[in-house]
Order: sequence, then C-alpha cells, then structure tokens
Amino acid sequence: MTFRVLDPTTEKAPPAGRLAPRLDTLEGKTIGFISNGKEGTKGFFKHLDQMLREEYGVARVVSRTKSNYSAPADKHIVDEIKGWDAVVSGLGD
Amino acid sequence: MQLASRVYDADSISAVQELYHSSGWTDGLPIVPPTADAVEACLDWAMMPPDQLIGIEPVRGLAITAEKLAINAVMAGCLPMHFPVVVTAWMAMMQDEFLMHGATASTGGCAVLVVLNGPIRLELGASGTFNALGNSDRATAVIGRAVRLCLINLMDVRPGVIDRSTLGHPGKFSYCLAEDEEDSSWLPLAEQRGVPKGASSVTVMAAGAPRQLMNEWTTRPEEILETFAAEMRANLRHYSIHPGNYALIIPKQLREHLQAAGWTKTDIAQFIHERARIHRREWAEVGKGAVVRDRGDSVYPAMESPDQLLVVAAGGPAGGFGAVIPPWLGNKSHAVTLPLGVCIDCEPPKK
Repeated sequence: MTFRVLDPTTEKAPPAGRLAPRLDTLEGKTIGFISNGKEGTKGFFKHLDQMLREEYGVARVVSRTKSNYSAPADKHIVDEIKGWDAVVSGLGD
Repeated sequence: MQLASRVYDADSISAVQELYHSSGWTDGLPIVPPTADAVEACLDWAMMPPDQLIGIEPVRGLAITAEKLAINAVMAGCLPMHFPVVVTAWMAMMQDEFLMHGATASTGGCAVLVVLNGPIRLELGASGTFNALGNSDRATAVIGRAVRLCLINLMDVRPGVIDRSTLGHPGKFSYCLAEDEEDSSWLPLAEQRGVPKGASSVTVMAAGAPRQLMNEWTTRPEEILETFAAEMRANLRHYSIHPGNYALIIPKQLREHLQAAGWTKTDIAQFIHERARIHRREWAEVGKGAVVRDRGDSVYPAMESPDQLLVVAAGGPAGGFGAVIPPWLGNKSHAVTLPLGVCIDCEPPKK
C-alpha cells in the first residue's frame, strides 16, 4: 500500500535573514555591539572592544543592551544600526 | 481543495515513519500519516481554506497557514474536531505578549501549557479529573502534542536548532488539560479572564514543569493555601525571582475545603499574592549569595498583582494533592486566553 503524505514544514525560507555584504577591512570602521544584557556578555564585549580597537584599528565601538534579553532588539537600537558598519550581537548564556 | 504542500510517496507505514523521523519532523514518537484526505477533513471541519493565514510569527516573519497546522495536527493524532482548538492555541501563542520565539527558544526549557474551558471540553471528551496533568484522555493528549509538532516543523523549534533548552521537561511532548467545570462552584479560568460564560476557549502559558505538593492534614483554607504559597516561594528561591503568571492546579479534595469555606478564586489569588513572596537575602540560603549584593532587604512577590494567578480546578477525586506550575521567566511572557472562533452564517470554503 502506498501512502501519499504531506510535508509538515513551512518549506520556504523565511523572508528575512539575508547576510549583509562582508567588510574588506575593519580599520576606521564603526562597530555596534548589541548585548542581550546577561552577565556573561560583560567580559566578552569588554575584551572584544579592546581587541577591535587595538588589533584591528576600529575607529569607534557603540555598545547597546536590549531591554529584554528574550525578545528582539528594541526599535531605537535597530534604528541606530544604519549608522554602523557592522554589528556584533552577543548572547551571555 | 487545493493543498500546496509537497507530496511524498512511501511504500508502507514503516516507510512513512522513517521518512518523518529521519527528516527531523517528529517528537520521536510515531506519527499518523498526514494524507491529503485527513488534512482536508480537518480544514473542512474548521471551514478554513488551506491558505488561510492564521498569523505571522512575529520574530522571524514566518507565515502560519491553516494547511500546515492541519498537517501537524493530523500527525499528532488529532481528529478534525480537535483541530479548531489547535488553531486557537496557535493564534493565542502568536500574540505579542506571549513572546513565542523567546519562550520556545530559551535555555529555560519551558513548554506551552494549554488549558481548555467551556463546552468544547465535553464535545471532545477532554477530562479534567483523574491524571489531569498526565495522560488523562485522548483529546488533551493529541492537542498538546499538535502544539509541539507545529513548533518543531513550522518554527524549527528542534532541540539544538531554535530550541536551546538545557533540560526541557516532559510537558514538551504534550501539556494540555481541561478544567473540571462540572465539579466546581468556581468561575472557570476563562471566565475569570474575561471570556463570556458558555464560550469555549483556550488559555496558553509559557510554563515550567508542575511542582506537586500535598497537604491532607487540614481543612482550613489558609493552611491549604500556605502549602501552595510555600511551593511558589521555593520556586522564587531555587529557580527565578521574576514575577509573572503562576498556575495553581487544585483537585477536588482540597477544592472542597476551600469552597465549603466560601473561598472564591479571587480570594485565593489575594491570599497567595500576600504569601508568595521572598526577601532577596533568602537566596544566600540556597547557594545564590553572590547575587544578593546590597539588596537583601528587597521583597520579591511571585506575581505583580493577584490577577496574574491562574487557578484551575482539575484533578482526580481523591488525594490532598495540588500543583504549582511556574512561569518560564516571569513577565517576559504573559498567558493569553482566546475564545474559539464563532462564525455566524459561515459558508464552507468552495472545494
């Protein structure tokens, strides 16, 4: 007996989520950090900030923290992204 | 009826099972083959065309259609009559305040608790008595399972993919119960939360595992409820200090003492709100002294207000047991109650 059965998944890729063009260099760039605010993010971003400036010549680092670590970034943070060259979004778990 | 989903041919029932398991489309248990006939029967029952948009998942922008919910409902073992409940549960989960992505992706590992109220319980044979939080009946088993299979297949909430749970809990297979409205003088949960009397409804809550308690040695409401409050204090100490929706499941034996003394659900919620709170310094007693800091005297209630307590009459007739179901992470997610859709003069969709 043959069963004709249906695909239970959405099948299509989600509409959002395309990767932005990669940067050729980090030198002189503005990098934004979006932290989820958990304890583990503090040391991570502090170290990354120092590394980006000292080793990669990043001009400016902007740090922002979400108001709810389980929800998407707040609108005012998302609005700022267009002023940055790249974003690092970090989890603290 | 024109279904849009991709079709697979399988030579045997075993081949169907292997196809679905190997594709990562199951919860590890066997599924019912979702054939076009079975899926169309669900859609017919709900009078929904396959492409009816049930909602857009808010974080990733995924469109959730009736057809895809029906496929997963059939896989879970749902009959057509169960399907409208699955649809309503999903509509509730997609409300912003439920924070579905966060609740289902979190390391915290909660499950979606589904509570049924109103006449639909009787139509489906959903039982709120013996084994209410376990395998009590077919309807609650398959509805709860359908909610999980939809999460797995429509949002990629698979372990290690979107589902990042450290532990999870057994309610992630199925976590649905019906309130025992016939054997209670209390307002049903849905009515307490604003649904008109007599309407069928679904309440969803991002919920941890049940914490069972027992107090068979008193008939005084204050003493019975102190045991519930103590269990909530334990949760505040051992798990999370965030206030939010807690559910109390109160079976008949304890319920009768409370009702005989004239206590309503509102009275219970007010008492619990006063008693279920701790000082931050208590964290030092359970190994969490490092986060007390200089705020030891701060008081943390389990709920911001009494109306955050969901009191549900359910459980077998004997035994002085009860259960506290804690929130995933306090107010990050709010419980949502929605009535099942009522359609006046609806016409079935054209075939």
